[in-house]
Amino acid sequence: MEGICKLCEQLDLDPLEDVRVLVLLWKMGANKKPAEIQKEEWMAACHKLQLDSIDSFKKFLPQLDTGFMDREEFGDFYKFCFQFNRAGTHKTLEKDLVVALLRMCLAGGRVEPDRLDSFCDFLESTKDETYSKITLDQWRSFLDFSYEYPNAKSLEGYDDSESAWPVLIDEYCEYMGKKMGKKK
Amino acid sequence: MSSSQNQPVIQLEDGWNNVIKKGAIDVLERTLDDGFDTSFEPKEYIRIYTTCYDMCTQRSPYNWSRDLYQRHGETIEAYLRNTVLPALQDKTGQGGTILLNELKHRWSNHQIMNKWLRKFFTYLDRYYVKHHSLPTLEMAGLHHFKSEIYQNCKENTTSAIISLIDEEREGEIIDKTLVKSIAELFESMGTGSLDAYTFDLETPLLEATRSYYGRKREDWIAKDSTPDYLIKAEKALGEEKTRVMEYLNPSTEPKIRKVVEDEILQKVQTNLLEKEGSGCSVLLANDKTDDLQRMFHLFSRLENGLQPMANIVEKFITAQGNACIEKRQAKLDSGEKDKNDDPEFVKSLIDLHEKYLSVIRETFASHHLFQKALKNSFEEIVNNDVGQYSNAELMSTFCDRILKSGGEKLSEAEVEQSLDRIVQLFSFLTDKDLFAEIYRNQLAKRLLNQRSASDDAEKALIAKLKVQCGTQFTSKMEGMLNDLAVGSEQKNEFDQRMEQHGDTKLSFGVQVLTIGNWPSYKAPEVALPAQMSKCMEVFKEWHDAKHQKRRLTWVHSLGNATVRATYGKKFYDLQVTTLQAVVLAAFDNGQTYGFTELKDKLNLDDITLKPIMHSLSCGKQKVITKSPAGNKITSTDSFSPNAKFTCNMRKIRIPVASVESSHNKNRVEEDRSVAIEAAIVRIMKARKTLSHQQLVAEVLSQLAFFKPQPRVIKKRIEALIDREYLERSSENSQQYNVSLLISFWRCNPSLFFASYNFLRYVLIKSVPCLSGE
Repeated sequence: MEGICKLCEQLDLDPLEDVRVLVLLWKMGANKKPAEIQKEEWMAACHKLQLDSIDSFKKFLPQLDTGFMDREEFGDFYKFCFQFNRAGTHKTLEKDLVVALLRMCLAGGRVEPDRLDSFCDFLESTKDETYSKITLDQWRSFLDFSYEYPNAKSLEGYDDSESAWPVLIDEYCEYMGKKMGKKK
Repeated sequence: MSSSQNQPVIQLEDGWNNVIKKGAIDVLERTLDDGFDTSFEPKEYIRIYTTCYDMCTQRSPYNWSRDLYQRHGETIEAYLRNTVLPALQDKTGQGGTILLNELKHRWSNHQIMNKWLRKFFTYLDRYYVKHHSLPTLEMAGLHHFKSEIYQNCKENTTSAIISLIDEEREGEIIDKTLVKSIAELFESMGTGSLDAYTFDLETPLLEATRSYYGRKREDWIAKDSTPDYLIKAEKALGEEKTRVMEYLNPSTEPKIRKVVEDEILQKVQTNLLEKEGSGCSVLLANDKTDDLQRMFHLFSRLENGLQPMANIVEKFITAQGNACIEKRQAKLDSGEKDKNDDPEFVKSLIDLHEKYLSVIRETFASHHLFQKALKNSFEEIVNNDVGQYSNAELMSTFCDRILKSGGEKLSEAEVEQSLDRIVQLFSFLTDKDLFAEIYRNQLAKRLLNQRSASDDAEKALIAKLKVQCGTQFTSKMEGMLNDLAVGSEQKNEFDQRMEQHGDTKLSFGVQVLTIGNWPSYKAPEVALPAQMSKCMEVFKEWHDAKHQKRRLTWVHSLGNATVRATYGKKFYDLQVTTLQAVVLAAFDNGQTYGFTELKDKLNLDDITLKPIMHSLSCGKQKVITKSPAGNKITSTDSFSPNAKFTCNMRKIRIPVASVESSHNKNRVEEDRSVAIEAAIVRIMKARKTLSHQQLVAEVLSQLAFFKPQPRVIKKRIEALIDREYLERSSENSQQYNVSLLISFWRCNPSLFFASYNFLRYVLIKSVPCLSGE
């Protein structure tokens, strides 16, 4: 973890703000344990990506934009974001962390900003204790949900009694429905 | 052929004119016109027959078979055309009956004529007709009648018949035999099939019937109430049936019935059922059994005719039930406290159910649609909870009232009946598990406090519940009863043991309960007086020797004791709980304790001790004085025995306010979660991949004792996804797959079931019963 911070410093990246750090780690295949990259993983990745100096890392940086990924790659990366940010053996992420992460990796047009904002707002405003921690299923479902209903203004055709979306998404839709109802 | 050799050849014109026409046809026509019955002398008949025979058997070219056959036809044709038709046309316009009579007359004439001609020419039938595949003479005769007469006057005839029938419908008396014979004429005209009858008489008749009853319907519906209308309809249907039987072809019966039903029932069904002031619900409200029965029978004739009626019945019963609920609501609104032991509401529901059950049985012949309606409406009523107590709790408390001693005074048969009915009501309940939980708590209280009025009644009710919901549902309750039964068997054995022991003065009894069957109770580790703990040791020793693998947990909070307290010269028997007794024993030497001091001494917590002290020092019988005096126990209070205590009764019960609620809602919730998850896993194990809707539907169908919201099921699915029992299908986010991890589960199925239903482990709790002096 410290090593990662050091690397970031040298590359002029802010690990709390810049999604490229996560992309880099994802590309390097830091899958084994959350929040760290194993030596073997590091070595293998450096070899494969031909990274042998800070300069080469810097040259590599521009490729690390999430915009370059196709859907499948991004899905994989998105899941990685969740897994990498877990603490030790925990299976869930704290809500605050989830909001920050969502804003970080879904920025840049992957998901419509309105959808992202409203979802984060919903998460922050909800008082339901069970949502203080977010599960992988809920995390992944949000991305799929955003693909399925790309237009942030419209939830037409959404029926919570029929769909298999997690209850979190159901409740988000209810929240949105109320919000939109108010506007009208 | 011998005759042709001996006799001269008969020429055609000769034979026809001189013998056949003169001797047979002319005679025949004359007698028919005169109205006499025709019959020929055998001799005469033989002569004509022989002539015909000869003419048909002469060798060609003198064989006149063809000519005779032709002339036979022409004769009939000519007679019909020249004599019969004008006569009929004459009668047309003079009224239906006259025309029909004439037709009847002419028809019977024709039959006579046809008969005789067939007899004379019978030899033709035998060879000539057969060889040339021609219609037989009889058929030919009929054909001629059909084409000459029937075709010309059938419309008039039909309308004459119809107007006669209409007259009869209006109550006039008509010549039924006449109509019958004409109907038969129509039947004959089909020559073997009923086509002519169907097309020429039946179809117009059905149409006429339709318009007749159409008019009637408009008339009746405007003037009559539903019951009156139905009486008329029933009568009309009956009349039409007799009519067909009396003078029409039986095949008409279903058709005409259909038409009439269609006109007078189907078309105004909604109108009749919903008619203001006399519709179905009004009849129900006024218990008009006969009218309802009639309505039921009439509408049961129609296809799907009962459904709308059943819907009304369902709505009506639901409304009645809601009225009961509203009454309760109104009571609550008016500020009355909601009591769970108020039997009125449950009673009103039971009465309602009883009433409509018998209505459906007696009036609606237990038709399945109506049974379903009753079921639907009661499912709605029974699951409509208002107020603080759920209906499940009210029903359970209702049972409690019946079953506990000192409750309602009922005879055995009445108890049986009440239980039967409450179980029927129970069967509509969705939250059956909630009922079971509450019921178990109340049962436990009854059993442990010896408040149960009758063991048999308890068993009877449990048996009824078992029939409704299966063994699994009642296993715990049965276990509870069983514990008591075993307990009383072993009591004697233990008492003997106590006597042998001899060194304790207390009389002491223990009830051993199987954990899991009983509700969970608090088991405070109270510091007992030496005498009491001695008893417990004796029992433990005895019990351990008997059952090696059991562990005893002493639940003193359920025990009770009789303490003899001496105040000056008087002594009283205080009937108290074990915990109260322990507290009293602490004051044995007349000491004064502070609340905290007492708490430490007895090893009890605030929540347990406070109500006990309250009961002893603030209740009706103040056996202990509290200082400062007041109605609330605080931790700074101090207590001492009330030396001035007097009471004019020797036996005194000192009740403790119960702090535990009658059931544990969380426990029900938890049980449900486990049950739902178990169901999901079971289904997914069998199906491997399933869509969300299918899964939810199957889960709902598997859960017998309650009906969770779909969202609750969804939460359980998510929980299973989190625990990696399931995963979302990668192809379709609306489907789930069973994850590979299930195989782990398969190795260890008890993981689920142990906590679900089948409690395999046995822990023992027991209740000491203590009486001290």
